[in-house]
Amino acid sequence: MNKRNFIYTIILFSVFSFAFIGCTKNNDLPEINPTAGYLKLASGYAAGAATKVEIYATDSAFTGYNKLYIALYDSTTNAFVENAQIVVTPTMDMTTMSHSAPKENPSSNIAVNKLFPCSVSFIMPSTAGSWTVAVAVENKVNNKTGSVTFNLNVKDPAAAKMFSFISMIDNSSKYFVGFIPPAKPIVGINDFEFVVYKKQSMMMFPADSSLTATFAPTMPTMNHGSPNNVDPVHVGNGHYKGKMNFTMTGLWRLSLTFKSGTTYADSTHYFDFTF
Amino acid sequence: MKKIVTLSILGLLGFVNFSQAQKKDLSTDSIVVIRLNEVTVKTCLKNQTEALKDFFIANKNATTEDILSRLPEINMIKRGSYGTEPLIRSYNTGQSNLLIDGMRIHGACTDKMDPVSIYVEPQNLQSIQVQTSHGTQFGSTLGGTINLKMVSPDIEFNNKLTGNLSSGYQTAANAFFESAVLNYSSNKWAFRGNVTYRNASDYKSSGGTVVPYSAYKKVNYGLSALYLVNEKTTLKTDILLDDGWNIGYPSLPMDVGYAEARIFSISLLKNNPNSKWKNTEYKIYANRIYHAMDDTHRENVAMHMDMPGYSKTWGAFVNSSYSINSKSNLQFRADFSSTNLSASMTMYQAGQSPMYMLTWPNNRNIQTGLAATYKNRFDSLNTIIISTRIDQFINSLTTEEAKNQLSVLQESTATINKTLKNFSLEFEHRFSKQFSASANLGYGERIPTSTELYGFYLFNAFDNYDYIGSSSLNPETAYKADVKLNYTKPGLQIFLVAYASKINQYILGMYQPTLSTMTIGASGVKQFQNISYAILSGAELGIVYKPAKTVQIVSTFKYNYGADNNKTPLPLIAPLKNITSIRKEIKRWNLLAETEMANPQNRVNFLAKENTTNGYVIANVRLGYSGTIQQNNFSINVGVENIFDKAYKEHLDWSNIKRQGRNFYTVFNFYF
Repeated sequence: MNKRNFIYTIILFSVFSFAFIGCTKNNDLPEINPTAGYLKLASGYAAGAATKVEIYATDSAFTGYNKLYIALYDSTTNAFVENAQIVVTPTMDMTTMSHSAPKENPSSNIAVNKLFPCSVSFIMPSTAGSWTVAVAVENKVNNKTGSVTFNLNVKDPAAAKMFSFISMIDNSSKYFVGFIPPAKPIVGINDFEFVVYKKQSMMMFPADSSLTATFAPTMPTMNHGSPNNVDPVHVGNGHYKGKMNFTMTGLWRLSLTFKSGTTYADSTHYFDFTF
Repeated sequence: MKKIVTLSILGLLGFVNFSQAQKKDLSTDSIVVIRLNEVTVKTCLKNQTEALKDFFIANKNATTEDILSRLPEINMIKRGSYGTEPLIRSYNTGQSNLLIDGMRIHGACTDKMDPVSIYVEPQNLQSIQVQTSHGTQFGSTLGGTINLKMVSPDIEFNNKLTGNLSSGYQTAANAFFESAVLNYSSNKWAFRGNVTYRNASDYKSSGGTVVPYSAYKKVNYGLSALYLVNEKTTLKTDILLDDGWNIGYPSLPMDVGYAEARIFSISLLKNNPNSKWKNTEYKIYANRIYHAMDDTHRENVAMHMDMPGYSKTWGAFVNSSYSINSKSNLQFRADFSSTNLSASMTMYQAGQSPMYMLTWPNNRNIQTGLAATYKNRFDSLNTIIISTRIDQFINSLTTEEAKNQLSVLQESTATINKTLKNFSLEFEHRFSKQFSASANLGYGERIPTSTELYGFYLFNAFDNYDYIGSSSLNPETAYKADVKLNYTKPGLQIFLVAYASKINQYILGMYQPTLSTMTIGASGVKQFQNISYAILSGAELGIVYKPAKTVQIVSTFKYNYGADNNKTPLPLIAPLKNITSIRKEIKRWNLLAETEMANPQNRVNFLAKENTTNGYVIANVRLGYSGTIQQNNFSINVGVENIFDKAYKEHLDWSNIKRQGRNFYTVFNFYF
């Protein structure tokens, strides 16, 4: 069953369920599958935790900031496990060496709508090696722990959603900037969100909030910008949020400038965004 | 005897509408009415202004805008050979009302390429009313009202089919004009149908230079049915369909691919001469316009774009006249209308997803108004007219998409509620048998247009700026004064009108250096703002002189002046213009020679990148013959316009596009 059929089935089921509820005047809402609308990227069992682990996302894995949703099921009852501590560890195996990538573990042990939101920012595509994501689960329901490792095929998106730069300030610090596009972009005011990580070692990519950011959206085809944009400011965990104004649909180029105080760290990169 | 013969011929032609004579009661003296129907004209000549207008309607080829351009009160902004925008004096479109048969109707083009006068053919019309001082009767306004009054089916004859056929040709634009009118009447019913077809190629200016992108094609259908409920009550329905396509606009970067108007109304007319309440008209109506700009015929288009626009209006009104006594009466009007506008632009670049935005974010204007005019002719010498009107306007954005888009400009997207007030007081005094004068003082208000409130990066080819609206605009308010002097004696009529108004909160596009342009190649962005005030003033002079019974000389002058609060000239103000004609009738022939002259205009607005315009003089000759074939009348008109092939443009013509060069035309009319 492909993704579209899956969604249609869900919708049909929802409609029928509502219809039946309407008939029986039962006010209980139907059980809507919390993974509906997401794409399943991987599935496996965390050995030792008696837990089935599934990874969902809105899109297949790509180079950049991937928002992931982990679903845990009790391996015998198949019920959702909604209380667990999860640690994700991405690893790139390049045969001669390996490195990790920026990630965000679920912020709480308690699931949100039965799922555990987290993120992995793949910093290169799988063509350079092979990506794995290890998910370590401490199931707080059965108090068992275990882990499972998934292979993920990471592709470069059509328009880059992540760039890296070496700061002009010290010519050594390397930063990764991941674009988090608005889920429902409109002609109007949109949230402009991205995340900044600093490479500390091959395995450590902590969130960074040391830089200030300014940006300007333009339409390269039309050579014009838009008015009243709001520069992004750090809102926590390396996430920056501002407002970007689109005056029409089409291709927008979001040019970013990073500074520390008045010193430029980088001003040569941009994200292209089409809607 | 001759009069009776004339009248009976007119009767046979099916043109005399006797109810019209009664309708004259409705009009105040300051209404300028042009009868479009030749024959009705002759029966209704009442004052010299009418005579003045009627004099020019010798050419059945003329479009509604051709006729409008001849009026002393009207100036026309020209962007192409068709679709010129009528202005009352120098008041712009938003500052005056342009109605069709009392109905509100809004063009669907963000670039004003479709003033609604293009959707009406003279064959649809009974008359054109131009009201300046009492124009607020039809809607809160500063400049006044142009009302294109639609013709009614004629119910005077039993089971009689009448009509006329017209055919015309003009050389300068290789333009054909064909029109047919049919009228059928029984005792209770009358039907009238008309169709007009126009097909013009790119016209030639002086020296035979072809002006590219100036061609146009259109077809217009009118269908009316009238039912006589009883002696005093008439039920009428009118359908007007107008389709124009491939209309060129040489002054603009785009043409019009398609312009489609659908206009419907149902009216109930009550006319009871014995009652105090006379001439009551109820009308409900609906109209919609679809307008699509087109750049596919242009060369070197940087980026192809689609720009459709939609306008939908429905409304209702009631007009009535109450006779207080033999000297005084009251006229009332109550009206309601709701107009929805939307327009968008989609740009296409190969290999990219389309770029789409709203240029008129979907918006609605709901208007409810009440107007009353009190007229008292105290004695044979003194008349007083008091007009008042109050309007409630509600402007709102109707979709989330529209609100989202406009919030980019940090403009409020909340609903706008405004109450507008209008008042005028006119006093007329007759000093002698020949000489009378009137003075009018007025106060008017007008709501900002949808473009001024919500326009989103609308490119204005005149000054090469993108324009954006501002929902925080205040209504314009104006103090107005005008004086009219009349001198009439047998064989000579002279009138002089002088007017002045101070418009507070005048709405003008002001340059915004912080905003970046949307249109490739535009000079910048202007936003509509209220400036403290502007002055508009001017004068019109008309002379009708009959040195002999069959000779008539008519000369009209119009002059306009406009300045903002810094005494900077306002853009698009026409210079002094004169049209003088002499007409000689020899039995069935009539010969007309005329000159059109305009002064140079050197008072221009440099901020609007307005250029000065040279003066010009052109001459036209028109010859007409009226005859009869088997009791059916016919007429043939031929003429030469711009005889000396002068290269000229008027100041209100956009760009430096020259007008038609020497043009020969012929029109044949057959009545049955």
